[in-house]
Amino acid sequence: MSEPAHGPAGGRPHAGKPAYTHLFWWFMFAQGGVIAAILVPVHILLQGVLGPLGVVDTADRHYASWNTLLGNPLVKLYLLVLIAFPFFHFAHRLRYLLVDLGIPSARGTVAQVVFYGAAVAVTLLALAILLTTAPISLG
Amino acid sequence: MTGEAIPSPHKGEGKGEGSSTRVYRRPVPAGWWARRSHYFWYIVREFTALPMALWLLWLLIDIRSAAVRPVNFHPQTSIAFVAFSVVCLAFALYHSFTFLSLAGVIIHVKVLDRPVPSRLIVLSQFALWAVASIVIGFVLIWFAR
Repeated sequence: MSEPAHGPAGGRPHAGKPAYTHLFWWFMFAQGGVIAAILVPVHILLQGVLGPLGVVDTADRHYASWNTLLGNPLVKLYLLVLIAFPFFHFAHRLRYLLVDLGIPSARGTVAQVVFYGAAVAVTLLALAILLTTAPISLG
Repeated sequence: MTGEAIPSPHKGEGKGEGSSTRVYRRPVPAGWWARRSHYFWYIVREFTALPMALWLLWLLIDIRSAAVRPVNFHPQTSIAFVAFSVVCLAFALYHSFTFLSLAGVIIHVKVLDRPVPSRLIVLSQFALWAVASIVIGFVLIWFAR
């Protein structure tokens, strides 16, 4: 995890006031990191490597089974969490990667809006795709 | 000789004085991260975000592929895509190992007023990773019918 000296949203909380903004961004950063660590590798292994190579058969390689799986509301919720949370983690890491590589302006407000705005945009895009792909079905 | 002859090195501490003191910042060369392997792996750890982000964006495309007509549904088979996924997998695994290994430092749990050893906490995180991977793998393969 990145250094605790700087929060994902930058700046420092004022003494005596609960730092709700920091709390939110740190929560998103930490949860995104955990979800990316625990859930993402197996998806890449199966859907990105073993499935396309024909070593295993995965649901996303069949139209009917992929639609059935995506129609399940729990699967939709799971995929939203799987995709959305890590992007808040990625946004922080990539922003401070730029700082570490000699671009101090990546700490600034503009960079925060760009990076966390991108994470919000991906979240909304994922939500839109999940809601418009494969009608919800409990069957 | 008075006490003012030699200024105290602690002058101004806690009194607002000295706040305008200019701090010397040692310039950092652009390629600092390539100087030591420890620095290099730190940058690699931070960089893992990019390939993982790209792969998750592809997953969104994969999800969207279910919206087309059955005759237009063509699952990915190209070697270029597999190579891309292999690279992403390597970075994703590095993220998992580094992130979950930190759990012992971050998470502090007490059971019966005794702190749980950090190694046990790290082990539990890796066990959670294994169980989650098995469950997800089972669902993805089981529904491939």
